[in-house]
Amino acid sequence: MTTSTTTAATDRRGISLRDVTKVYGTGDAAVHALRGVDLEIGSGELVVVLGPSGSGKTTLVNIIGGIETVTGGQVDVAGEEISGRSPADLSGFRRDHVGFVFQFFNLIPTLTARENVEVIVELTGKGDKARVPGLLEAVGLADRMDSFPAQLSGGQQQRVALARALATDPDILLADEPTGALDLATGRQILGLLQRLHREGRTVIIVTHNASVARIADRVTTVVDGRITEERRNEAPADVADVTW
Amino acid sequence: MDATTHKAVRDLRRQAPQVLAVAVTIMLGVALYIATAGAFRNLGGSYAYTYDRLHFADLVATGGDTGAVAAAARSAGAAAVTARTQIDPPLLVAGTKLIGRVVGLPAGSRPAVDDVDVRSGDYLSPSAADAVLLERHAAETFGLGVGDHLQVFAAGAWHTVTVRGVVESAEYLWPARSRQEVISDPYAFAVLFAPQTTVARWAGSGPNQTLAELPAAASAQRSDAVAQAMRDAGAVDVTPRADQPSNAALREDLNGFNELSVAFPLLFLSAAAVAAYVLLARRVLAERPIIGALMASGARRGRLVRHYLLQGLLIGLIGAAAGVVLGVLATSVVTRGYTAALGIPDTIVARHLDLTLTGLAFGAVVGLLGAAAPALTAARTVPAEAMRNATQSRPPGAWSRLVARLHRLPVSGRMALRDVFRSRRRTAATMLGTVLALILVLASAGMLTSMTNALHLQFSRIQRADATVTADAQVSGTDRRLRTLSGVAAIEPARAGQVSAVKGNDSYPTTLNSFVPDTTMHGFRSVNGGWISLPSDGVLAGASLADMLHVSVGDTITLATAHGDTPVRLAGLLDEPMGTAIYADNDLAARVLPDPTTATYLVRFADGADRDAMRRQITQLPGVLAYVDSHALTRSLDQYLGLFWAFIVVMIALGAILALAVIYVTMAVNVVERTNELATLRTAGVPLRRVAGTLATENLVATALGVPLGLVLGVIAARGFLASFSSDLFRFELHLDWWVLPAAAVGVLLAAALSQWPAARAVRRMDIARVVRERAA
Repeated sequence: MTTSTTTAATDRRGISLRDVTKVYGTGDAAVHALRGVDLEIGSGELVVVLGPSGSGKTTLVNIIGGIETVTGGQVDVAGEEISGRSPADLSGFRRDHVGFVFQFFNLIPTLTARENVEVIVELTGKGDKARVPGLLEAVGLADRMDSFPAQLSGGQQQRVALARALATDPDILLADEPTGALDLATGRQILGLLQRLHREGRTVIIVTHNASVARIADRVTTVVDGRITEERRNEAPADVADVTW
Repeated sequence: MDATTHKAVRDLRRQAPQVLAVAVTIMLGVALYIATAGAFRNLGGSYAYTYDRLHFADLVATGGDTGAVAAAARSAGAAAVTARTQIDPPLLVAGTKLIGRVVGLPAGSRPAVDDVDVRSGDYLSPSAADAVLLERHAAETFGLGVGDHLQVFAAGAWHTVTVRGVVESAEYLWPARSRQEVISDPYAFAVLFAPQTTVARWAGSGPNQTLAELPAAASAQRSDAVAQAMRDAGAVDVTPRADQPSNAALREDLNGFNELSVAFPLLFLSAAAVAAYVLLARRVLAERPIIGALMASGARRGRLVRHYLLQGLLIGLIGAAAGVVLGVLATSVVTRGYTAALGIPDTIVARHLDLTLTGLAFGAVVGLLGAAAPALTAARTVPAEAMRNATQSRPPGAWSRLVARLHRLPVSGRMALRDVFRSRRRTAATMLGTVLALILVLASAGMLTSMTNALHLQFSRIQRADATVTADAQVSGTDRRLRTLSGVAAIEPARAGQVSAVKGNDSYPTTLNSFVPDTTMHGFRSVNGGWISLPSDGVLAGASLADMLHVSVGDTITLATAHGDTPVRLAGLLDEPMGTAIYADNDLAARVLPDPTTATYLVRFADGADRDAMRRQITQLPGVLAYVDSHALTRSLDQYLGLFWAFIVVMIALGAILALAVIYVTMAVNVVERTNELATLRTAGVPLRRVAGTLATENLVATALGVPLGLVLGVIAARGFLASFSSDLFRFELHLDWWVLPAAAVGVLLAAALSQWPAARAVRRMDIARVVRERAA
């Protein structure tokens, strides 16, 4: 395990994990997804969590996002202690602080791009519907707002998913393999958007098995077999245009 | 067990709640089938046993020379023949005056036909001429037993007789005076069996009925031949067993079981097939990549088809097995409960292996039908596409584009509207569940409100008299005394008697009722819907008479009695809920029924009159022989219909269960299909109640879409169901009170809303992280 090299940051956009363990199942069937992870992520950082399939990186980001609970340890996110909280509490926490982007965009096929974003504002009661066109413009979909998912390309769908994640104006953006289902050019566009959001001051965590993606990060955390095996800082994060895979 | 069978069993176990919902629906269908069809057979068997034991007459001939008629019946092939005298005199029983029935029996021996079962006391004895046997219903109604006394008015005088025994009679298992009075006030009818010589003396004549029993398993041709021989020998009317009032009433009721044993189970089994289809179609969709991999590995299409058919078969057999157990238990309970409620002396509960096997077959067929389309879909899977799981999103249709323009509607509302067409089969299944539930509910509720309306029509608008008074015609001044009685608003002389309406070879025994020409005691409701007056040049008759005699308005029919034949013109047909009587004015009736011994008066009370006080006052008047309170009859009907109301309530509850089961399955499948979407909403922090509310809205929209069709088909089914009960005994029109349709719609929507609860629970228990992980994998 590598000790964090960053300053502990549990302010509005900071994240702190102390000796976090996560075990699925019991007895012989127990799977140790995380084994005593310590991690500090500062406010406004862009962190890439790197690791092979099954290493525990998705579990790690799910715990930070409050969609998974820990078996042991302490998790502070955006100034809130979230380990051991009830599902309803965690739902409120996510509403206030976190936005998710997934590999498979999980858009609602019967809603247009605009409606896919609006529905989050409507159902969470957080955010402002008037901001939705601006969000879609920001991800380059000004002219496709009224298109249905079936009428959009994969990259466009992922951009809608990104706008959806921003609908509640979250402090922290968690992206799990956001380029996994995209070609290089489209993937670059999505990474560019994530980098821009980071530059605007949001904390962004990208989970990927693609080492090339790590070049855009401020910091790279490598997870293998449930443990953080390496943490390194990119003194000069690459521009998305320079990334290839 | 091979691997695919293992998989089938485990798959079903993984979806236990949904499988259970489908199995329960099948179970109810099969149980209902076995219980109703089994009870139908058992009750038929119970009646047949009693009829055989008591040598219930196959043919009853009235009029003519009974000796000649009996001889003709014997020579035509009757196994046993008996002649007897039957009269309907006034009786005074436990202080109540009524028109009863006295039937002659041989005092020294048991009759060869229409014997009685002595429940208490002894059979008639030649040494006790004033002893009678009292039929069980009358004994129970008046609380009389062996040794009690009652009086018979005959030959112009009251005769006191003693109850020697209480008996059960095959002719009066249901105490019906005639086919026109199948349901009567129990305090207005009683049957006595007296020595034939005594009854003949009271009647002032010899036997007036000839009863024939045919050999066991006699053919219909033999029965017709004997009946024709009896007619040819002078019988005025020959009534076959099927038309005998008690038997006809019981058979009519029994036929209801027969109708039920097909119609209602069919609804449940159809709903179950749809639910099984939804469940298995979803499974095939979810397993496309697996199916693709199997087919890429060379799996045979037939094996795949068999695999998914096996799942349907297992669901069907699980439900059917439970249904068989429940059905067999219910058959016994229904049979015993029914015979106990009606006082049927013999109860035969048989095991019907064929029904059990048919029930199991129904379950298997339902499961296989539900699985057929998904199984064929699985077999047609293209491996390459399936392994990529390339379920192409369909481009938005016109409906989606239209709804997208409804900007004022909340997005969740627009989502609900569009989802109706997202999974059309699921929506269709939800709608079908709604439609079937509404058919069940409306067919049941329609019976209830139609019967209630028919009773109101019969006893408030058609029969408008409060009481019928029979008086001794030799005692003068009865009408004056009645008219001046405090509390009496109006009286009218009337007349009633048994006749046979004859046209060619067709005849129908019925009642001739007569009134003053401008009567206010009876309303005549034409088949055309209007109210008409009594004709001066003919008779009116219940509409069924036209079918039975093959006549139409304007034809001449003959009214036959022991006094002779009277040709009359059929002046109009009436739409009356109960019975098929003939109506005429008093002058015409006097020619047909020249009976000088009694006079009948219809009485209407003043508003607020005390009915019990009126009964007491009127029955104490000199010359009054019998009194029937019309309202007592409606009370009796309410009691008779008690079982029926219970049945209706059970059917409505089953309708709700049907809706719940089908909508629950479609709802559960909806949740499974949309797990990713729902998980995404939850990761965004959307509160559980909002997610569940969104789902509920979608399903309620699909349910609501099924409501109009369900209401229309439900009304059609209710009309058909009622028509199947219509005969010369009852004639029902569908009448739905204003609240029935809204209540049925709201009820089904409530059932649908209730079925959201397990789905909401599934959303609450959804492991968001696992969904995300599995999707990523």
